[in-house]
Amino acid sequence: MKPRLMILLGLLSVLGVQSRAIAHGVEINYQTTEAIAINATYDTGEPMAEAQVIVYAPDDPSTPWMTGTTDEQGRFLFAPDRAQSGNWEVAVRQAGHGEILSIPVDGEAASETEQAPAPSSETAAVEQTAGRANNLDALSPLQKGVMGGAVLWGFIGTALFFARGKK
Amino acid sequence: MHIPDGILPAQVCIGGYAVTGLATWYSLRHINRKKDPTADIPKASLLTAAFFIASSIHIPIPPASVHLVLNGLLGTVLGYYAFPAILIGLVFQAIILGHGGLTTLGVNAAMMGIPALVAYHIFQLRDRFGRRLNDRWFVGIFSFLAGAVGLGLAAIVFFILVITTIPSGFDVDVERAAIIGLSLAHIPLMLIEGTFTALLALFLLRVKPALLNIKSEG
Repeated sequence: MKPRLMILLGLLSVLGVQSRAIAHGVEINYQTTEAIAINATYDTGEPMAEAQVIVYAPDDPSTPWMTGTTDEQGRFLFAPDRAQSGNWEVAVRQAGHGEILSIPVDGEAASETEQAPAPSSETAAVEQTAGRANNLDALSPLQKGVMGGAVLWGFIGTALFFARGKK
Repeated sequence: MHIPDGILPAQVCIGGYAVTGLATWYSLRHINRKKDPTADIPKASLLTAAFFIASSIHIPIPPASVHLVLNGLLGTVLGYYAFPAILIGLVFQAIILGHGGLTTLGVNAAMMGIPALVAYHIFQLRDRFGRRLNDRWFVGIFSFLAGAVGLGLAAIVFFILVITTIPSGFDVDVERAAIIGLSLAHIPLMLIEGTFTALLALFLLRVKPALLNIKSEG
């Protein structure tokens, strides 16, 4: 149990650094242990405190299986029914901002993961986080900064191009 | 202010694209009627850059944190160029910054772009007041109004869109309270953007009035 806990904490700290980006979108991270821990932050790094959470079971994706709210740190914990394998969907929403996260839960493999080597389970979790919309979280702040700078230079270049003909 | 993917139902997203398509066509038609449609492109391009980066500037207004939008400012200075400028800015914000989303691009562009056109007309309204068109006070007051109303209208559209599309399953009252809280935080932002627009308009009036489509300095 102890190493598992440490992995969880390690992941949380890694994700905490990653989420310090810009803008108003929303980021939802999760780790799979016995239960599933949801960590919802705005991408300013601010936690989504007391946001509403709805969990949908794989066999019925239209009726809520469970509803709740995140705590002050934007965390939410639920234990999926291991009998239902498939994609559990978790919707987090607050003031018109939010996201739906799909969490694959393999019911039969639950006991296998207990013995799975720590590094592989960690990379799996990280990969799933990075697989979010546009893969934006996989980019470092530097990469984002360079991309933003390139776009800005594109606009300035356009301005210079059209200003050139006048003189 | 930007509505991300997955918040609005598909019909609203498609409707948003339809409205944006119409508004783009209308704006481009106006631009094409000018003597030299490319003359204002440098100005539009630079302000698109400003719009692109403005959404990264956060202003903490409890209980929420809001960011500059500058749609009223773009409308004031650019006129009909503002709509395509905002559309292009939003595309890059969605792709590069993850701000907004591609499915909601139409909704977001209509939400910010049409108030920008309204802001332009508010700024032009000053022509109706007396002959002293280039009076600094008139330019200041009307640019302030244009900047504030442009943002205010966008905030109202945002408010209506998200409050009428709360999905079933969520606690409507709690979500409604959260939306109202966020919308109220945009009232101080209106003052900030109005002031910002007025400062820029007064600066341009002093330095290069032609950029505001004012023929000569009074």
